[in-house]
Amino acid sequence: MGLLAGLEQSAFLVWIREGGSLFGYPSILFTHTLGLGAVAGLSTVVALRMLGLTDAAPRALLRLFPAIWIAFAATALSGAILLLADASAKLANPVFTVKLTSIALAIAGVRRMRGRLMADTGVPAAGRDRLLALAVVLLWIAATTAGRLMAYLGPAGGPGRAS
Amino acid sequence: MTPHLHLVLNHAPALGLAAALCLMALSWSRRSEALRRAGLELCCVAALVTLPVYLSGVGADVRLSGGPEVSRALAARHHDAALPALVAMMLTGGCAWLALWRSKQAGRLSHGPITALAAAGTLVLLARTATRGGAIRHPEIAAAGLGADADPAVAAWLSAGALADAVTMNAWVWPAAETLHFVGLWVLFGVVLAANGRLLGVLTAVPFGALHRLLPWAALAFGLNVATGMLFVIGAPAQYVGNASFAWKIAALMVAGAQLLYLTSFDGPWATAAHRPAPPGARVAAAAGIAAWVGVMYFGRMLPFLEL
Repeated sequence: MGLLAGLEQSAFLVWIREGGSLFGYPSILFTHTLGLGAVAGLSTVVALRMLGLTDAAPRALLRLFPAIWIAFAATALSGAILLLADASAKLANPVFTVKLTSIALAIAGVRRMRGRLMADTGVPAAGRDRLLALAVVLLWIAATTAGRLMAYLGPAGGPGRAS
Repeated sequence: MTPHLHLVLNHAPALGLAAALCLMALSWSRRSEALRRAGLELCCVAALVTLPVYLSGVGADVRLSGGPEVSRALAARHHDAALPALVAMMLTGGCAWLALWRSKQAGRLSHGPITALAAAGTLVLLARTATRGGAIRHPEIAAAGLGADADPAVAAWLSAGALADAVTMNAWVWPAAETLHFVGLWVLFGVVLAANGRLLGVLTAVPFGALHRLLPWAALAFGLNVATGMLFVIGAPAQYVGNASFAWKIAALMVAGAQLLYLTSFDGPWATAAHRPAPPGARVAAAAGIAAWVGVMYFGRMLPFLEL
């Protein structure tokens, strides 16, 4: 905790939190939103295929995954900066734990979806594949809900509060 | 958004719908699928344009009503008529969009009356809205009592005042609407990113038609975000109507919405088969579409920060 408190007061993170520059907190927040849009959105496209709602060849959709991983990296990096800028409040917020758990499970699900696409044998979507797809979408909804509710529930914190 | 912008734009939805109905009538008499398609596309454009009309009206209300020249009561009556008209317009646009989407999937455009009936009903609500709006600044309309008809039951719960109260008095409404808005954001962005990405050369093994099948999810998410967005504006109008970042968001939304219509109804994207490049026009449109949706998200995210 001492390390995190120290980091929170580092020049860079103080500038992010209090600097008032558009390239600071607002841009990090936008990167986080854009990344979330791409990760959850593109993995939902894959999920819709696994639910049988489009007939795109499953292996052809593998080309989406580099974009999903790049977007996840941007979301994770911006999320880490947002966390470190306000670590003491966010880490004390139980809703944040729900958010991180949902994201971890969703990413595990996305990796599993990729494995199912690679193993595709041309047989129509099996029941287990549909459940996996549905689970991934529901986990992204859970992560989004927890992310939004962090601004309203838990200890008051830095600039992310209920905007 | 200035009150003057509202006066400039406010005839567009009604005139657009009237023209669309004329095109659809002509298409029946001439048995022309092209005319019907144009009529349906015009319905979608009219629905899209209704958003800045409504929002500029909210801006005019915040700026002027209660002042010496604009009666707050007359402005409220106009707003209470505008909201059901907006809802009806969105549903009409949705019916038209669905007909256009199905025409590509099924290979033919249906000649059913649903969109035309919805458009006719919406025109009635728009006329009622316009009459009440006219009463605000035309003394001859107000004197004739034309803007003072009794409220039918449908308007009572769908009035701006009732919705604003629902938002401000129930603490769960705003966070729930925000959550739904974000979920709608990524469903919409994922589908349009994949569809536009195909036109730009990613996923070349996938025929555009397979991604076209996913567009209803984007349309549903669009509708969800319009509905939740309206709750935000009605619940806290002052946060949005004086904010130039919000104006840029709506401008970007117009481009993005038009591009979604392009993906749905035009031949360029539809004809992009597996392993074939998209036509140059489609690639330009795809880049513009992605840029527009990024713009919608950027200006939306920047609302609390960007003072333009």
